[in-house]
Formats: sequence, C-alpha cells, structure tokens
Amino acid sequence: MLATSFSIVTLTTTNFSVESISSLSHHVKLQSTVSFATARWTEKQQQQQHRHVSDLSLHQMASCTTLYEILGIRVTASDEEIKAAYRRLARVYHPDVAPAERKESFTGEFMKIHTAYRTLSDPEKRANYDRSLIRRHQKPLTMSSSSLWGFSGYTSHKWKTDQCW
Amino acid sequence: MVEPAYTVTSDSETTGEEKSSTFPEIAIGIDIGTSQCSVAVWNGSQVELLKNTRNQKIMKSYVTFKDNIPSGGVSSQLSHEDEMLSGATIFNMKRLIGRVDTDPVVHACKNLPFLVQTLDIGVRPFIAALVNNMWRSTTPEEVLAIFLVELRAMAEAQLKRRIRNVVLTVPVSFSRFQLTRIERACAMAGLHVLRLMPEPTAVALLYGQQQQQTSHENMGSGTEKIALIFSMGAGYCDVAVTATAGGVSQIKALAGSTIGGEDLLQNMMHHLLPNSENLFKNHGVKEIKQMGLLRVATQDAIRQLSSQTIVQVDVDLGDGLKICKAVNREEFEEVNRKVFEKCESLIIQCLQDAKVEVEEVNDVIIVGGCSYIPRVKNLVTNVCKGKELYKGMNPLEAAVCGAAVEGAIASGVNDPFGNLDLLTIQATPLAIGIRADGNKFVPVIPRDTTMPARKELVFTTTHDNQTEALILVYEGEGEKAEENHLLGYFKIMGIPAAPKGVPEINVCMDIDAANVLRVLAGVVMPGSRQPAIPVMEVRMPTVDDGHGWCAEALNRTYGATLDLVTLQKKA
Repeated sequence: MLATSFSIVTLTTTNFSVESISSLSHHVKLQSTVSFATARWTEKQQQQQHRHVSDLSLHQMASCTTLYEILGIRVTASDEEIKAAYRRLARVYHPDVAPAERKESFTGEFMKIHTAYRTLSDPEKRANYDRSLIRRHQKPLTMSSSSLWGFSGYTSHKWKTDQCW
Repeated sequence: MVEPAYTVTSDSETTGEEKSSTFPEIAIGIDIGTSQCSVAVWNGSQVELLKNTRNQKIMKSYVTFKDNIPSGGVSSQLSHEDEMLSGATIFNMKRLIGRVDTDPVVHACKNLPFLVQTLDIGVRPFIAALVNNMWRSTTPEEVLAIFLVELRAMAEAQLKRRIRNVVLTVPVSFSRFQLTRIERACAMAGLHVLRLMPEPTAVALLYGQQQQQTSHENMGSGTEKIALIFSMGAGYCDVAVTATAGGVSQIKALAGSTIGGEDLLQNMMHHLLPNSENLFKNHGVKEIKQMGLLRVATQDAIRQLSSQTIVQVDVDLGDGLKICKAVNREEFEEVNRKVFEKCESLIIQCLQDAKVEVEEVNDVIIVGGCSYIPRVKNLVTNVCKGKELYKGMNPLEAAVCGAAVEGAIASGVNDPFGNLDLLTIQATPLAIGIRADGNKFVPVIPRDTTMPARKELVFTTTHDNQTEALILVYEGEGEKAEENHLLGYFKIMGIPAAPKGVPEINVCMDIDAANVLRVLAGVVMPGSRQPAIPVMEVRMPTVDDGHGWCAEALNRTYGATLDLVTLQKKA
C-alpha cells in the first residue's frame, strides 16, 4: 500500500520534470494528470478509512444494529444519501471487489447491506421499518424459529445478528 | 490520454514490472449469438475486437461437417450461402442447447436443413448432419465446442499467447441447466468460464464504463443514470433496467424470451409458402435444397425491408414450385405481430419489475441484429414515450465489448486511468423455488433478486405422521411446477412423526458470488431449539439430462405422497 502511494508520487514527479520543458497546453495536461492521480489517492485513502469504519460496524453487528447503522447514515437521510451510501459500501463489500481472503465474510455483509438498502429505499417499507424501530425501544426482542438455523456459511456474527431481527 | 501513459511508462525505472503487471492473463470476451459471433479483449487501454484471417470482426455461427472434418464459420468460408443450407451445416446451436424434445423451440428447428428429431418424451432431441449422404449424429454441445476451438485458435493467433479464461454472454432466459451445458461446451474446447453474463448485463457494464469516462472528463459528481437496455438477436430478446452512478451499475430488473430474428424468418417463410411444413417433413435431399432456397430468399427480403418499404421475392424451388410475390413492410409486420407484441410486453414488464417509470429513464439503448428493423426501433421508442435512442454503442459489438471489460475486471487487471474501476451488481433473471401447495411453483428466491442472495421459506407436512418430503427444485416463471425447468431433487428423511402441519421444514436457497446455487433443507419441531435431523445441502442443478422425462417420472412414482405446503406465518 505504502509502496503504491510512493510509486504514484514518483510517477507524478517524473512527469512534472519532463513536462516543465513543454508548452502551456502540455502544462494543462499535466495538471489534469496530477489532479487525476490525486483523486485516485484520495479514493484509496477513503477506502482505507472506511476499513476502520467497517471493523467498528462488524463489532456493532453483535448489538442489534439498525438498518441505518448498517448503511452508515442518519435516520433522516435523503434518498440520494441512501443510494450514495449503498454504492459506497457495495464498492467495498461486493464479492467481485472483496479481497480474496475475506470474500466469504464480505459476501454476508453485502447481503445485509443490500437488504438494508432495499428496505430503506422503498418509502412504504421505510415508514413501516421506522415505526417498528420506535416500537423496538418499548419491548424486548423475540427470537424467530428460523434463526435457529446455522444455514449461513458466513461469519459467526451472522448468528448474533439473526437474533436481532 | 494515451500519450501521458506512454510517456510515464517509457520513463519509469519500473518499466518491466509495470508491463508484466499491466498484462496478466486476461480473459477474453465471447459473444456467440444464434447467428453471429464475435470475440473481444481489453488491450490495456480499451476494448479491441479480434479479427479472423479474412479480417472479419463479426463471423457466422455455424459448423460444417463436410468431408468428415468439421469446420466452423470462424476460419472457413462456404462458397455459397446455399451450402450453409445443404444439411451438412449445423447452426442455431444456441437455440438448441440444453433443451428437451418437447420444447416448441426445438420443434421449430425441425424446419431447418440439418436433422432434428424428437420423440416428445422430455429428453434431448436427436441432431444430425448430412455427410456423404449419411446422417451423422452430434449434439449442440459438440457443435458449440468445435466452434469455440476455432474461436480460441483465432484469438491465440492474434494475441500471440495461450487463451484459457473466457467471459461468455448468455440470454437472460437461459436456465441454470442450459448454463451448465454452455460451460460443458467450453470445457470441451479447453476453455475455463470465468463468468457467464446475461447479454443486457454486459451492455450495462459497457454503459457504466462510458458514463464513468464521461464523468471523469467532466469532473462530474456521478449523478445516477437509469438506462433501459433492449437486446434482440436472431434467437433471443432480452431487456434490462439498470441504475448507474460512479462506476457502480445495479441491475434492477431483467426480462427475456426465446424470440428473435429466427422467428421473424420462420413466420415469413410460412407466409410465402403456407404448406412448407408438410412439403419438407421427409427431409430428403430435394426437400433440403428447397428449404435452403426459400430460407435464403426470405432472409434477403427481410433484410431489404429494413431500408425499403416493398420488396419482390422471386424464387424457383424446382418441381414446378415457384414463388413470385411482392412483399411490403406492413405485411412483414402483420405476419410477425405476435413477436413484436411479445417484445413490447417484455419492456413493460421489465420497467414494472424495476419499479421505474418511463419518464425516469435517461438512456434507451437498443442492440442486437434485430435493432436494425424499423418496427423494432419503433416499438422500443413508443414504449419509451418517443425518447431518443442512445447513440454511443455499436449494436453488434456492445455485448462482446462488455464481456471483454468483465473479462479484464475478473482477471484482476489494474488500469491506472480508472477505466476498469467498475462494479456490476447483478440480479437473478429467473425465480427459483420448489414444488409445494399441491402442484404449485413456490418461489424462494424471486426474480430480479440481487446476487449474491440467500432466502428461506418454511414449509410443513401434508399428511399425518409424514416422515419424508420430496424437494423438487424448479427455475422459471410459471405458476405450476412443471411449467418451469426442473433443476434437481432430493428427499428429506427422518421427519419426526407428528400430525400434519406441525413439523417446520425450512428450505433455504443460496446463490453465492460465483452464481452457484445451493439448496439447504432442515427440520425443526415447534418449541425445540435443535434441528430434528441433520441439515441437507444440495448443489443445483443435479439433473444432467432429460429433465422433462425426469419430472414426469418423479410425479408418476411419488404423486402427492411426499408433498409439502407453505407454512402460514402465525400472527
């Protein structure tokens, strides 16, 4: 990771020194390249930052996480914010982009993320969920029979999460 | 954009490493259509379509078994189009693969010059080519494999390296059983399938890449765009609705049907020669030639009607049989009215499934060989309230380009300019469920469920003291179980004896990241915290041939003795 960042910086520097001899239009192109490289680095930084968040959220999974918390958004989030959150998380957890060694656990996470997204992006389902969220604070949880199954081939956290719904 | 990359690479001290990391073993994309095929690959900065020795990017999908040495449309060229219809050449293999002999699509292929025989008992049809006056049997998988070998050889010659990994496009309506047959044909050709992509999903990926590039150039914020993708080739019609933003494409709905240019052709042939089925049923040498002549003439007429409003058909079939008729566009459209109506209903269904209003669609994309037919363009435009069609794609190349992009992504290629920084969130084209509630198909995973997916339903027994249950897994959209494709079956044994309706039988279906389907089933008694018997896990499909025959035999043997019903949730 660090080496990659270093390589990017090096390439940028090299590019700059070469282009400094060139015309103004080349300078504009250089700016574009630098800007792009910066964007890429920022994106990686975001992903790295998000990995910390994901570790925290994995911990939260064991304590009756709400759908809003799964997506990392506020209860008052707008439709656009919900969509943006879903896409951001999909880019991290979808099995097509997950690191090979964590593909299985990330697949389970992605399914939870998608379920949360599907519920919260449907106005009617969201309203029903919000009402049940209010009621949840008023009475203890009950365990459904289907949660007895260890059908998951995924993380043990899955078991605990099942008890929350 | 290309120049800086070149400059950086040539000046970098890590040139060697850069090059080796830039070009790993990339999977190629293959689009084998019912009538045409193409191959493409990511060449480091963009998609490149490969050409054969005759400089063709688009090749015909057929294999000729002449002189005992089969050769395909990749490398060989038949001297006349007539020879393609001599009985020695097999085409439409994509329409035949994975089907049983009760399928109407198989029966429609009996009007083709090569031999298709059916016993109508739910097993695979008999297929043969006429070689040296002898009918020689083959299978669609074998024909497809021969064709793939030639495609592979062509790709290896052009790229100058071994090709093993491929991404193939497939019709939306293909069942999981048909997908296994495609994979089998690839294995026979020495190819490993990284992914099978529904055709409109491949187009959606290409669209996502284009939006991403546009967004980069404009430094845009990645606003969500909704695209309707309509794809109609010779054999299949597919529709998808996709939402794209920031390089992430989400397939919201898919719809597909086995209708295409081949149906338009057959309907027109029947219109020109109403008694053709009876005339040709003997499949003698003379009849084969007549079929071929009629087919070529009709194809030409349909092609011309895309640019003309009236066309003259003149063909002498021999034996005093002549067709001399002027056909206009309205006639062609009327003869095929049901086909076009079906296309329209697919679009409407897809929009409804996606919960998208026509007004919300930003881009309407139409691809496939039939996209050149005026009536097809009109019907798509009409459903979409006159919205202008998207112009950023070549209709014949879009699917294979998308497959090539997917091949690069799945191969782990890293593009420094972010052209491969894409994610496609796919959806299941068909519902998957079991037979229950009498003879009903009860979906466990509904159509258009985002993948990967895991869903479960609870069922219960139908007889007092029932200790076994037969789980029949189907895929499709029909309401009755046998209207769908039987994927497999297994039996649950050791259910504790109890009055009917008491045991809780949980059926879970899981589609993993590699699109592998597993069905799990377990039994629990009310109030108990432990499963009553070990959970069963079965990978699907388990039926490897004759699924029509198999379904009938199971029904005859077991009837309703091991049936289940859906357990009603207690309030």
